[in-house]
Amino acid sequence: MTESGAQLFARLEARRCLKDIEPRLFPEDGGPNHGEVVELYGAEGTGKTEMLYHLLCRCVLPVASGGLEVDVVFVDTDYSLDMLRLVSILDNRLNSARSPSAGSDEAVLRSCLSRLLVVHCSSSAQLLLTLHFLETTLSSRPGLALLLIDSISAFYWLDRSEGGASFSRQEERLSKCAELLGRLLRDYRITVFATCHAIRRRSHSGPPSSSESDRPFLCRPWQRLVTHRLVCSSRQEAPNNNNNNMAAAAGSSEEPRTRQVFTVHATAAASSSTTSSSTATSSSPRTKTYRSSSFYVTDGGVEFI
Amino acid sequence: MVILREGMCPGLDEALIRDLRAADIKTVEDLVSSDIEEVAQRCSVSYKALFAIRRVLLAQHTAFPVSGADLYEELLSSTAILSTGNPSLDKLLDSGVYTGEITELSGGPGSGKSQVCFAVAAHISFHLKQSVIFIDTTGGFCAGRLLQMLQTETSNTQEQMEALQRIHVSRLFDVYALLDCLYGLRGGGLQQTSVGGGSVKAVIVDSVSAVISPLLGGKQNEGMSLMIQVAGVLKTMAKDFNIAALVTNHVTRSASGEVQPGLGVSWSHIPRTRILLERVEKSAVFSPSGLRSATLIKSSRQPCPIKEELNLQWWSRSQEASSSGKRKLDETDS
Repeated sequence: MTESGAQLFARLEARRCLKDIEPRLFPEDGGPNHGEVVELYGAEGTGKTEMLYHLLCRCVLPVASGGLEVDVVFVDTDYSLDMLRLVSILDNRLNSARSPSAGSDEAVLRSCLSRLLVVHCSSSAQLLLTLHFLETTLSSRPGLALLLIDSISAFYWLDRSEGGASFSRQEERLSKCAELLGRLLRDYRITVFATCHAIRRRSHSGPPSSSESDRPFLCRPWQRLVTHRLVCSSRQEAPNNNNNNMAAAAGSSEEPRTRQVFTVHATAAASSSTTSSSTATSSSPRTKTYRSSSFYVTDGGVEFI
Repeated sequence: MVILREGMCPGLDEALIRDLRAADIKTVEDLVSSDIEEVAQRCSVSYKALFAIRRVLLAQHTAFPVSGADLYEELLSSTAILSTGNPSLDKLLDSGVYTGEITELSGGPGSGKSQVCFAVAAHISFHLKQSVIFIDTTGGFCAGRLLQMLQTETSNTQEQMEALQRIHVSRLFDVYALLDCLYGLRGGGLQQTSVGGGSVKAVIVDSVSAVISPLLGGKQNEGMSLMIQVAGVLKTMAKDFNIAALVTNHVTRSASGEVQPGLGVSWSHIPRTRILLERVEKSAVFSPSGLRSATLIKSSRQPCPIKEELNLQWWSRSQEASSSGKRKLDETDS
């Protein structure tokens, strides 16, 4: 297939490596490299979309405010992108980093938002077509280094019902999307973060890690594509004793509120291991945690503890 | 899945469709994913023509990327916050029900979900002068109660009638009828309804779990797929037409014994905001009261969980606040 010189250049020129996108999430020097896929898995209310907003802000903010100034494409399959919340996080971060003599906030905010492209998809067939269309976008924008998909499991039940009785037909569409995504990753060397909603309720009596309900359930081509898997969870935390004493001493009549603490366990997906390990084809995925981090969600977005 | 038909785009004639079908390419997705050179050779069609057809079909059926700045401008001008009329509920919802997203109210029997739905409908229809579509799947819709709520706002019967006329009620009792109704609304029904009164600002489904929960469970996936379809059409309708979608849900007990909204884990990702309503346990003698406790369990704008006390009788308060009037209202509420 022929391509013009500009397209060839856009394809081969190295896109910004996003290894340092959030070093607190991944183990030492273990951030996502070119062409790698990170899956954020968790139940409802565990902070997956908030984490995506955090990564998005990190990418589109100007370097002066602590960002990377790269273009981002956000594929929204379940209409969960709340632009108002995203803009309030951006505003917060710009204000905290702003020097008094800087230019107007509005212009900077607009330039940040213009680095973001949003696509809404309503079915897996449309997702497939959209990924084909994104190829032209990728070749025309060499600054595009990050693709966010929220969420990749949105059409899971629709596909299963349409596929009828055969599993291969049920998984056909998502497999095609995963294969196309793999080709785009190889050719254009972007990084992908995707959220995956849990479909089984986690049993509270079992151990928090290596739980049955955290097993990947999407099709094999997608599981092969994933290099890092971040399992998200949350719990209520009572405020620590210092706060209690201070509040009592100050005679305050407010009772200290419990905060919600979100935790992320970073693991490497077993099937993507390239070392010649004898346990490469184990039936149960390795859920050995490589890094655990916790954060609160505040008005300014994600705040790590 | 879109099947290739002649006339879809210039250059796609019957002969070409027949050749493509012989090469096992029946849908737009097949054509877009296939290798154009190979297909051009097999169907003896010029590469350029087939490439042009592919480009046009892709442009017709794909979702277009929108710049974040444009999307934000559009949202700023089109998002509205619809107050519910009750200040404590408004505080929980961050000043009201937002358009463009799904808000869920869950609670056990008698916890006040339908009352809140009536109140929201009455408030939007009377104060904001906009239309409301009310889909009743339980048979619990009571026009008399709506009239009572409107009578506390105004004593002018003309205005009451106009407000009632702006609320359009559909009674359906199974999920296929619900899907039919929602697709019809999305396909043009909303514009038709807006011709008379103000534009439609809210779609209330009371309750969505009554038609879906009988289909869940067991080995079939149909129920889950229908649930996701209902969610999908509600979300696209809310987004495209800037309306607020309010749904109600039942509750179940979790393994650890606490109350949680029904319809399972897959539904829990769908609404953007979720409120759980519960009766307030009064240790004194049993006296029917309108007090409920509302807990915000999911929100993208406020830290959860937040608990507020909600008085259902707020919507029945009389203007004059005479003691005899209040007692009469208490009796009708019990």
